Order: sequence, then C-alpha cells, then structure tokens
Amino acid sequence: MMKMMMISSGGTALQTLRLAPSLCKPPSLQTLTRYRHGLFRGPPLLPSLLRAVSSPALQPSSSGVEDEKVVVAKPQWKAAIDFKWIRENKDLVAGNIRNRNSSANLDLVLELYEKYLGLQKEVERLRAERNAVANKMKGKLEPSVRQAFVEEGKNLKEALVALEEDLVQLTDRLQQEAQSIPNITHPDVPIGGEESSIVRKMVGCQPEFSFAVRDHLQIGKDLDLFDFDAASEVSGSKFYYLKNEAVLLEMGLINWALSEVTKKGFTPLITPEIVRSSVVEKCGFQPRGQNTQVYSIEGSDQCLIGTAEIPVGGIHMDSILPDSALPLKYVAFSHCFRTEAGAAGAATRGLYRVHQFSKVEMFIFCQPEDSNMYHEELIQIEEDLFTSLGLHFKTLDMATGDLGAPAYRKFDVEAWMPGLGRFGEISSASNCTDYQSRRLGIRFRPSLSDASPANSKKGKGSAAPTQFVHTLNATACAVPRMIVCLLENFQQEDGSVVIPEPLRPFMGGLQVLSPKF
Amino acid sequence: MMKMMMISSGGTALQTLRLAPSLCKPPSLQTLTRYRHGLFRGPPLLPSLLRAVSSPALQPSSSGVEDEKVVVVAKPQWKAAIDFKWIRENKDLVAGNIRNRNSSANLDLVLELYEKYLGLQKEVERLRAERNAVANKMKGKLEPSVRQAFVEEGKNLKEALVALEEDLVQLTDRLQQEAQSIPNITHPDVPIGGEESSIVRKMVGCQPEFSFAVRDHLQIGKDLDLFDFDAASEVSGSKFYYLKNEAVLLEMGLINWALSEVTKKGFTPLITPEIVRSSVVEKCGFQPRGQNTQVYSIEGSDQCLIGTAEIPVGGIHMDSILPDSALPLKYVAFSHCFRTEAGAAGAATRGLYRVHQFSKVEMFIFCQPEDSNMYHEELIQIEEDLFTSLGLHFKTLDMATGDLGAPAYRKFDVEAWMPGLGRFGEISSASNCTDYQSRRLGIRFRPSLSDASPANSKKGKGSAAPTQFVHTLNATACAVPRMIVCLLENFQQEDGSVVIPEPLRPFMGGLQVLSPKF
Repeated sequence: MMKMMMISSGGTALQTLRLAPSLCKPPSLQTLTRYRHGLFRGPPLLPSLLRAVSSPALQPSSSGVEDEKVVVAKPQWKAAIDFKWIRENKDLVAGNIRNRNSSANLDLVLELYEKYLGLQKEVERLRAERNAVANKMKGKLEPSVRQAFVEEGKNLKEALVALEEDLVQLTDRLQQEAQSIPNITHPDVPIGGEESSIVRKMVGCQPEFSFAVRDHLQIGKDLDLFDFDAASEVSGSKFYYLKNEAVLLEMGLINWALSEVTKKGFTPLITPEIVRSSVVEKCGFQPRGQNTQVYSIEGSDQCLIGTAEIPVGGIHMDSILPDSALPLKYVAFSHCFRTEAGAAGAATRGLYRVHQFSKVEMFIFCQPEDSNMYHEELIQIEEDLFTSLGLHFKTLDMATGDLGAPAYRKFDVEAWMPGLGRFGEISSASNCTDYQSRRLGIRFRPSLSDASPANSKKGKGSAAPTQFVHTLNATACAVPRMIVCLLENFQQEDGSVVIPEPLRPFMGGLQVLSPKF
Repeated sequence: MMKMMMISSGGTALQTLRLAPSLCKPPSLQTLTRYRHGLFRGPPLLPSLLRAVSSPALQPSSSGVEDEKVVVVAKPQWKAAIDFKWIRENKDLVAGNIRNRNSSANLDLVLELYEKYLGLQKEVERLRAERNAVANKMKGKLEPSVRQAFVEEGKNLKEALVALEEDLVQLTDRLQQEAQSIPNITHPDVPIGGEESSIVRKMVGCQPEFSFAVRDHLQIGKDLDLFDFDAASEVSGSKFYYLKNEAVLLEMGLINWALSEVTKKGFTPLITPEIVRSSVVEKCGFQPRGQNTQVYSIEGSDQCLIGTAEIPVGGIHMDSILPDSALPLKYVAFSHCFRTEAGAAGAATRGLYRVHQFSKVEMFIFCQPEDSNMYHEELIQIEEDLFTSLGLHFKTLDMATGDLGAPAYRKFDVEAWMPGLGRFGEISSASNCTDYQSRRLGIRFRPSLSDASPANSKKGKGSAAPTQFVHTLNATACAVPRMIVCLLENFQQEDGSVVIPEPLRPFMGGLQVLSPKF
C-alpha cells in the first residue's frame, strides 16, 4: 500500500517532510576551520576533543602536537535534551531507536556526553585552579614568587581558553547527534512496520455504485473544476487551478472546518506561510539538503511552510506560559507548500499529491499529564468531522516504524477513495509530548497546588520550576484530499455530485454540483 | 503623500513589484562567449553586428580582420511579440509616451537595432538566394574546374551565412531586450505628469466623525486580540503577522463576500497556484530577480512566489489562440500574495498596511481590443460598488502618466479614508493593459468572419481571419489586510467594539459586532 505524504499533519510520518533522523546531517553546516599554533595535521574530526578528554590533566604545550584542523557542524539553536535521562534509560532509548528504524547513534551520543561531562569538569577544575592562583597573588609576595604565579596563571588561562573552545565544539557535536534521537513511544503503540498498525475504529461502509465509477480527475473534467494543464505550464507539474464550484468547495470546507473546531473552544488563526528555517527544524522537519520537502526562499534563511503546525508551534517559541493559560488550543488555516521530492506511484495523479494546498490544522499546547487525553480529543474531533460528512473511513494507531521523530504516538485517518479503489490518508493526529517544546523552548510554570512533591522539595521559594509543555497537532481538513473523497464518494449516475449536508451552509446553500450544458 | 505598494493590483504602479523599465537589465543573462577564428580582440559589445551591417556585401575572408571577440549578449528566455514596424512608424508618439511615463526605455537604440536587424535579415536572405543559385548551377553536367569553382563559392557562401545567422540571433535578442522596456502606450485621457496630476474621478461618502479619541487598527487589534505581530516577527520576520479570533472570521468573510459578489456578475471563480515560473512573472511585466525586486524566489529553481493573482490568471491562457466566441473571459481569483517590500519605508509601514503576505481577491478580464475600455469602466464600477456597499469613504483616481507601470494603458486607483493614518490610503487598483501582457504571454484570438475588419479580410487568406492579441485587464476586488484596516478604523465605537458592515455579516456567521473580551 502506498504511503500518503501530503496530508499527514506534519511532524508525524517519516515520509512527510523529512524528519529529525536526517538532522544528523544538519542543514546549516558551519565549517569551523581552526588552525592552532600552525600547520594542519591530524584527522579532520574532533581530534582536539578526543585529545582534551583523553588527557584530562592536559597542560598547554608548544610541542606542536596540538597542530590541527577541527571541522564542527554548528547548530543554529539548541534543543533542551535531557542527557541525564537518556543515560539513565539507555536500554529503553536504544530499543526505541531500533523500533522506530531511526538512524540515531545512541552510543556516539553517550560517548560524546561522557566526554562533555569530563571536559566540563576539567574546565571547572582549571577555573578553580586559576582562581586559587589569583587569590594567592593578592598579598605581598617576593618578586620571584609573584613571577612564578604570573607564569602559572598565564599557563592556566591558555589551557582554559583552549578547553573552553573544545567544550563549545563538543557541545555542538553532542547537540547535532542527540537531536536525531526520536521521541520515546507510547507503550500501546504497535511495534513494527506500517503493516503492524492497528485499526482503532472503522466508520461507514464502502459505497456501492450501479454505474461505472469515475475518479476525481474525470469528475473534475466533466464539471470543469480543475485546470492542471495550464498550471503545469505556468507553475510546473502537480500544481493546479481550482475553478467554478471547486472554489466554493474549497472555501466551504475551510470555513466549515474552522467553524466546527472553533465551536469546540479552539482559537482560530491564519498564519504566516514564510518562516525562518530554524523554526522548521525545531518542529522536527529538515528544511535543507537533498530530497527535502521544504521550499526555501532564495537569499534568505526563510522557507515556505509544509504545514501550519510549524507557525502555530512557533507562536509561543521561547516563552514561559502561566499554567492557567493551558491548554492552549488553536485551529489554523494556511496554505501548505511541499516539494514532494521523490514522490512517485499511482497515487500521484490529480489532487492526491500536490505542491500547494489549503489545510485547517489543530494544535494544542498542554501540561504533560494531559497530552494523552487531548490526543484522544483530537482524534475524536477528526472522526466526528469525517462522520458528519458521511465518509467511510478507518482510524489507525500507527506502528513504531511509521512514526516520525517528533511523534510519541500517531493516529491516522484513512478514507475510502473509490477512484483509487482503496483507503487513502486524509488526516493524522500526533502527540509530540515535549519533543518540539524542548526545541522551541516552550515551558510553563506549574502553580503551587500543581507542583509535584519532586518539584516542591527543591524548595526554591514559592515558584515551582518550569517544565516543558506537551504539543499535539492534528489535521481538521486537508482540502484537496477531502475534495477527492467528496467527488468520488458522492458522484451520481447523471454526472452530478451531491454536497454533504453540513457543507451546504458554507457553500451558499448549494446542494448538488451539476454538469454544465 | 506616501505611495501605496501593497494593494496595487499588480501590473500597474511603478512602485509595485518592479516593472518592465528594469527589464533593460533582464533577469536571466546568458553570457554567450564566442571565439571565432581565434583570439579575443575588439570592443566587448556587438562588434560583429556592427561589422555585419556596415559591410553588407561582406564576403568571408581569412585575412584575420574578423578575429574576434567576446560577444556578450543578454539572451531573453522568451520573446515578446513587439510590433517594431508600428513603433518605427509612430516614433514621435512612442518617444513622447516614454518621456511622459518617466520610462528609462531607449527608443533611439531600439530603432537603431531594428534597422540593423532589417539590414542583417536582408543580407542573410541575399546570401541564401546566392547559395541556392550556386547549388542550382551545379545540378547539370559541368567541367571539373567549373564545378570546383562552384564548390568553393558555395563553401564560402555557407560560411558567411552561418556567421551572419549567428549575428542575427544575437541582434534579435538584444533588440528584444531593449524593446521589452518600452512601456505600453497611454490612453489619451490620462493626465500627463507625476502622481500629483492624477484626477479624482469620483468621491463617495464623507469622513466619519468621532466623538472620542480615534484608535488605529493596531490598537483596536490589540484591544480585541485580533493580531500577533510579535510572535510572527520571531517565527518569520518583521511585517509578518498571525490573524487571531474574529480577524480570522473577518478575513474569511471578506474573501467569501468578494468572491460571491463578483461571481454574481458573471466572473469565473479561481484559486490559483502561488508558485509560478519566473518567466511568467516577467511576461506579466514584473521583474522577478535583481536588486530591490519585490518577488520572493524559490531556491534552486526557476520559480517564484506570486505578488498578485494577476500573474497566474494572466498565465492561464498563455500561448494559446482563443475562439472569439469565448471572449470576454472574466475571472475572479483568490490567492495569497507574497512581496519582499524591499525598500519600503515610511509611516504607512506599521501594522497591516504593508506586509509580506496577504490574501487578495483579484478580477481579471481577457477581451477583444475594442472592448477593453468598456471593461475597464466595468471593473472600476464593480470596485466602487463593493466599497460603497461596505460604507467606506473613498475616492477613485485616474492615475497620471508618471504613476503608471509599463504594462498599464490606463489605471484607476481607489483610495479609502483611514482614520488611523488620518489620510486616504490605496485599497485597490484597476488597470487596462491592452495588448502589453498578451504580446508577452502569447494570447491571441481569431476573430470570426463577421468581426473581421476590412483591413484583415482584404488579405483574403481563405475564410480564417488573422489572429489578434487579446487585451487584458486586472483589478482588485478585495485586498484583505487594507480592508481590515478600513473596517476596524472607520467602524470603531466608543465602547471599543467594531460594527461589521451589513453585507459582510452573512459571510461571518451573522456576526454584527466585534466586542472586547472580558
């Protein structure tokens, strides 16, 4: 069965916008070429780090042994990764990486982390020594003694500067490797490839047609709804114009989805569609490199969004929310842009997989203990929406091998598409727990009554320590696939298409799309 | 008075997305480096063309005089069907028009290049004929020495021809490049002069009186929790924004209202691609590359983001011949628009007035040449009706020559009263581009026989009349952010609420008032 890329609500499917595993080749490699004390020598990767850690009592020398070139990939931002937790739960993390077919290298991360701790300790030791020397020089001293202290202080300073540089580079390298570790997985998620995904729910049944079923492209042609040919000339393949009632249908679907989800207490948003590449990365997508799904803007650090998940996730970037503000529930309308590099196969015809589409996306920021509950709420909203349209669909609990790095758990909805003769993905709901918030820097401060004993025992006055929020995202309506479903499932023998009742108020009361004469 | 860039419906204001005058530095320079017969020598520009034309009876020689030269020619990726004969025959009119419109087009150079082009073309034809003559002479039985002489002569002619044909290609490209920067001619009623010479065609409504301190849309938006510019600045950059809460309803309501009203008038609704090939942007008269371009380009491709739906709608019939029975084709298109707003500065850059991304509903008409003035009036009438129904105070201007972008034959702007700015601000624009865009986009129609003018029918090429270029017109139905500015600022109430104009309410779930939250 073909995988669906277009509609997945973002930080979810491995196939959707390349996800964090590829972060091991980060987008903005900054090559730091450092010639210290002279000529290039030695292996190109991390030599000073290895040296620094393997000789913890290192003193600066001028023997020339240090001559070297260090190439380090410098991340533009840092994820607040809990290395201590990873070290303490090594087996769990290793098993999770295996289950999710992730390319993350845990051994390397742990090795780098140990080196980092050692180097940090060494830096602290040198700092203390230097302070001690400085203190010793405070009183009156024999000139020769003072001179010895000055020498010692100078040597210590030089050693410190070198180690601090190494520490910066080691930190960057550790970040880079650790960012590719996927989120942990909900215990109920089935382990295995996509075929292991579990059907949670099945709604409706396959429509029966007493006539030859047409696919949405044929229906669109008969009703004059699309123009792929002109778009191919003007823009390229997989672009399209919507025409006539298809415009009503798109606007109706957007307004209907916004209205339904707003009724459930979500705050409506219309988002920027150009964002900084760093925000794309922080949400767990890979904005650069070969086969990226992301369109970049020439001559800037910006790119086009592939899903509103990115700008909505970013709306509270680098902030501490009051816990009384949580949950924050948003429903956002945006256009989405995807290169669909590497996409091929039968399901690439027509509207199924396109470069630009409209989508209404739900997004929740909540306290950690509530994210499973809100995940259920999101999939319930999706199921209610699609049920009300009369679609035949199933909901899947996606297997580990099908989860993108940010997702702790992902539910997909697949609807029956008579033109394809199979189910096709129309939406997705993911619980990303703190994967995105640790990258986006979104925390909350629990109120005192909420503070767990573990937190309150630290006793830092009345303010409880901050925690990372959990984030969830879910498709309310990915318009083109919804148009595929509606045209193909509700086609009539006379060539017309019946509009589901809930959409009619959002389409000026239109009940049927009828062929023109 | 500040100029408005954002809302102008595209191929209209010089200030809007840099227009054709800058085509004299075309985006995709293709440097043709040609070493012929040896070493580099001579001036860098057009030497072989000058030579070719100045010695029309040139015969190939091996004297070394031809050793040349690096010829750098800007090669356009596409050709506009420019009527050079007409330009030559109407030299004074074209020159005056270039002056009136402050265009940087170089008519003298265009005419010079055109003469050279004609001369070179003639010479190429002469050589071809000679070569054919020689070939014909060789058909019969000939003395070997005579045959040998013909072979020599044919070979020489062929070499000369190849060289001249190459020159002709380069001269054609250069001629295109220069001629593409000539602006459209101008409607005789357009006032001549700078923006201050623009004529007010119509004034509707009057300035609202407020018995309380007027707030601008940013303050109202803050009070009603409608926008988030701060978060957008972090996530995307300055001049980006999130719309929140009722602002989302307002945007969707405006789009649906505009689409619905214009569709009722017989326009076909469209939702368009927002990524297009750069060549289509150029063909519509915009400048997609280079410094200070208003156009966002996609990295590693020849595509860019649209600054207006005028571009994809103009392109929808690119390179085609329409049956005259299909005309007029009237479209109303919804798209998001993206503009770098490079170089934009001043007081009117706050808030929603000038932003990088916005929603717009745009009207576009393809019609027969004799109808374009009539449809221009229809478009401005639709705009005026739309804004009148919302209760806005606005004026319509017939924009002066100095304010027209290269594609526009005539442009009407609508400026509405914005209490926050304390002045009128542009909210829409309607342009008649006559055949400027269609000559670039390659959009023609074939008049039916009854329509064919005597001038055409006397050519008597059977029953099919010759094709003509269509005329194109574009006009803003609703540029959402500026409309939001107008609605919030004009309809604000003392209690902090904002009353929604009656026509929009059905498109906002019946909402009548935006009220402050508690």
